[in-house]
Parts: sequence; structure tokens; C-alpha cells
Amino acid sequence: MIEYRDVHKAFDDTPVLEGVSLTIETGECLSIVGPSGTGKSVLLKMTNGLLEPDQGDVFVDGESVFRATRRQLERIRRKVGYVFQNAALFDSMTVCQNVSQGLPDDEARRCHSPPVLAKVCAALDAVNLEPSEILDELPAALSGGMRKRVGLARAIIGRPEILLYDEPSTGLDPVNSAVITLLIKDIQRRMQVTSVVVTHDIQQAFEISARIALLQHGKLHFVGTPDAFRASHDPAVQAFANRQSAAARAADIMEVS
Amino acid sequence: MVVVVRRGAQGILRLIGRRSESIAHDFGALAILAWHVLEATFCGRVSLREIVEQCYAVGVRSVPLVFVTGMLSGLVTSQQGGYQFTGSVPLYVLGSVVTSSVILELGPVITAFVFIGRVGARITAELGTMRVSEQIDALSSLGRDPVAVLAAPRMIAGVIAMPVLVALANTVGLFSGLLASRSTVGLGPESFLYGARLFWHNWDLLYSLSKGLAFGVVIPLIACHMGLRTHGGAEGVGRATTAAVVMMIVTILVIDALFPPLFLN
Repeated sequence: MIEYRDVHKAFDDTPVLEGVSLTIETGECLSIVGPSGTGKSVLLKMTNGLLEPDQGDVFVDGESVFRATRRQLERIRRKVGYVFQNAALFDSMTVCQNVSQGLPDDEARRCHSPPVLAKVCAALDAVNLEPSEILDELPAALSGGMRKRVGLARAIIGRPEILLYDEPSTGLDPVNSAVITLLIKDIQRRMQVTSVVVTHDIQQAFEISARIALLQHGKLHFVGTPDAFRASHDPAVQAFANRQSAAARAADIMEVS
Repeated sequence: MVVVVRRGAQGILRLIGRRSESIAHDFGALAILAWHVLEATFCGRVSLREIVEQCYAVGVRSVPLVFVTGMLSGLVTSQQGGYQFTGSVPLYVLGSVVTSSVILELGPVITAFVFIGRVGARITAELGTMRVSEQIDALSSLGRDPVAVLAAPRMIAGVIAMPVLVALANTVGLFSGLLASRSTVGLGPESFLYGARLFWHNWDLLYSLSKGLAFGVVIPLIACHMGLRTHGGAEGVGRATTAAVVMMIVTILVIDALFPPLFLN
């Protein structure tokens, strides 16, 4: 279970999050949507302590992330897999070395030993990549979609209990975007993980989530099921739920500016 | 007019205040980073393999450049000394001047500048790029400590490599100085070595290597600090690298200026 309790965060005196409280139950998949720059990724990065809130706290399975000792934080982080927006693969490492980094230190150092290699291949299989074709490639040799899937393999190889996805389909073509959506659903079903997905792709959010949260102006504007999201008459929710409302909202913004 | 002067003075004071705060902040952050590196090293959290790889990258691969700069520093000192001493003082003094100049000053300082350009700038750019492309966040999210994985091996390699590179620069500098004194002022090796021994103190060698050790600590420390705190995309990496090089050069010159009053008097 993840619990955000009255989280505040500002950068250079500009408030980004202003009192966000949200609980995500074990095994649930929640998508966070909202306009760019409203702190969705900031909230995600607080879940495993990559960013510290100015006020409030985040709890993972009842343990405070920000009052944890170094060892406790390392344990929390091993429990949480993180899929970065641009994959964040290590440039100087091969795909095999990159994926094995999701394993404990001693295994990560022996990435070409048969047991570790078997785990790496299984993780790559799980994200629909052919291990024999890419194991020894450097990230620079991979396409955007492949890089995202290698990033996903790295996040799941350690069998985390929680998976955080930061805009997993941004920058991908529709086919690769659909592949990522299917993979998220498949991983959710097979591993029974708790997932938090920050996305701009509302269709993806409808397909994968049990609940959708709309973050706006640093506050949670709406939290509910995809059906409730679609049925909402709130203009801010509607702007995300359907294209016509989004176009109308965009026209308003252009007129104001 | 008075208002303009007062505003100008306030602006200057504010600027001085901001710069002082920034410098104090950097010193504090450097001390914290150094402490974390020591902690990671003595708690055995640094990979030996990574240290060996970094020793190769920062040490062995710097040898050709240090060889060339060491040779040129000895050569130039010998030629200029020969020009100044001819007809005024006994030429064997040239052996002492070249030895002292190379060992006490030129060997360590020129090697430090080579190290800043070849290693320090590379470390800042490398870690800065990793920071802005979220690779350091990825490392943290995998339960790894970026200081233990990235900064500590580079710092340990710097501490090991710098004194060795300084010793190499000293040796090459002395040898090239000896050869140059023969070809420029006709001073034979025996006379050169006689002059070198005349004012030689064993302490000088320790002094030279200690300078190398001090430079080997601060260069990777500043480089790692600036790299790890980089932000702002490609432009940020460029800004951080430039700032790191300036900070490293100034720090090296300040430490170099502190060494004689602390250790030679």
C-alpha cells in the first residue's frame, strides 16, 4: 500500500504540490493524469525517496520513506520498481548489464553467470524482447520502444511489489504505445503488483487502471474509477476524458493568451 | 544621485552575499560528499573492479600526456635557466634549479592541470549527463548509492593515480632537463647531477608527492560534486563542466600557494 499524506513541494518558491493526500491499495493500479507541470512526476519520485517533500510524508507498506534510515530506504527502493520516462538506461552498459542492475549487488556483478543470465532473459521475454538479439547491445543501438521495454525489464527483474511508471508511452508511435499498455496490463495480472502510472494517454489510463486521479494546480481534483471519470461533468475532468472538450479547452486557453 | 549610488551599493552587497552563500554552500556540499565517500570506502561498499577500471581510465590513459608535459617542463626550465646563468653563475647550478623547479612546482602543478583537463572535466560531464538523463535517479531507485557506485571509485582512483603521475612527470622532467642542459649550454650529466645533489633535500620528493596526493583528492572531489548536482539538460552539463574546471584550477592554485608556508618553512 502507498499513502501520500498532505504532501507539499515547491521549487524555487513556486509551489508544485499543495497538500496531496492519496492512498493506493495493495494490488491496485492507479493512473495519475493532469496538465504538464502539475507535479505528477514529482509525486511519483517521492514514492521511493528520489525527491523529498517540503511538508507531509509518503508511506510504503506503512513505512515512512522520509524518516527511513539508509538501509530502510534501500529496502523500500528494492520493493519499488521505477520505469523512467526516457528509460534512463546506463549508457556505458550493455542490455544484459542494464537489466541485471535490478538484481541484488552480488548478482548484478555476475551478469553473465548462467543463473543471472536466465533471470535477465526471463525479464526480457516478459517484455516481449528477444534476448539473443539484444543482450550485448548498448542502449544507443536500440529504438525508443525497445529502450522503454528494457527499462521495464530492469524494473521487474527484482520482482518488486510496487511498480511506478513515469509516462511509459510518451514519445512512442501508436503501435509501440499499445504494446506498452498491453505489457503493463500483463505485468499487473501476472505479478499482482501495486502500480502507479503517470500518463498523458487517457485511453491507456482507461484500459489499465482501477482508479484515475486528476492532479491540477498542485491538488488532487478528482479520484475515481474510469467509469466515474468518463461520466463526470467537471470541465477539468471532461477536458481529459474526451477530445472535443479538450479542443474546446485549448481554444479557451489560446483566446486568453 | 544618492538613491542611485545607494541602490548600486545594495546591489553589489547583495551580489557579494549571494556569491559568499554559494561558496559556503559548495564547501559544505564538498565536505559532505567527502564524508560519504570515506564512509562508503571504509564500509566496503565500493567495488574493487570499478576502482581498477577507474585507475586505468584516469591513471594509465593519462600517462602519454603527462609524459609529454613533464618532458617539456624540464626542457623549457633547462633552456631558460641556461640562458640566464650563462656568464653569471656556475652552470652546474642549473642542475639544482631544474631539479627544484620540476620537483617542487612544475611536476605536480602541470600534472594537476593535465588531470583537470583530461579527467576532471570528463568526470563532471559524464556524471552531469547521467544526472540530467535520470541515470543517477535510476541508480538510486535500484537501491544503489550513487556516491558508492560513481563518486568513490573515481576519487580513490584519483588518489592512487595522481602521486604516481607526479612521480612520472618529475622523472621525465629531470631527464629531459639533463639532456637539454647538455645540448643548450654544454653542461655534462656529471656537472648537472653535482648541482642537483648540492641543494637536494629528501623532503622535497615527499613534498612533491604530497602535493600530488592533495591534488588527487580535490580534483575528482570537485568534479564529482559538480557532476552530481548538474541540472538543466545539455546546457546545464556544459555550464557545470566549465564551472568545475574553473573551480578546480583556482583550488589547485590556492593549495599550491598554501604548501610552501605550511611545509617548506
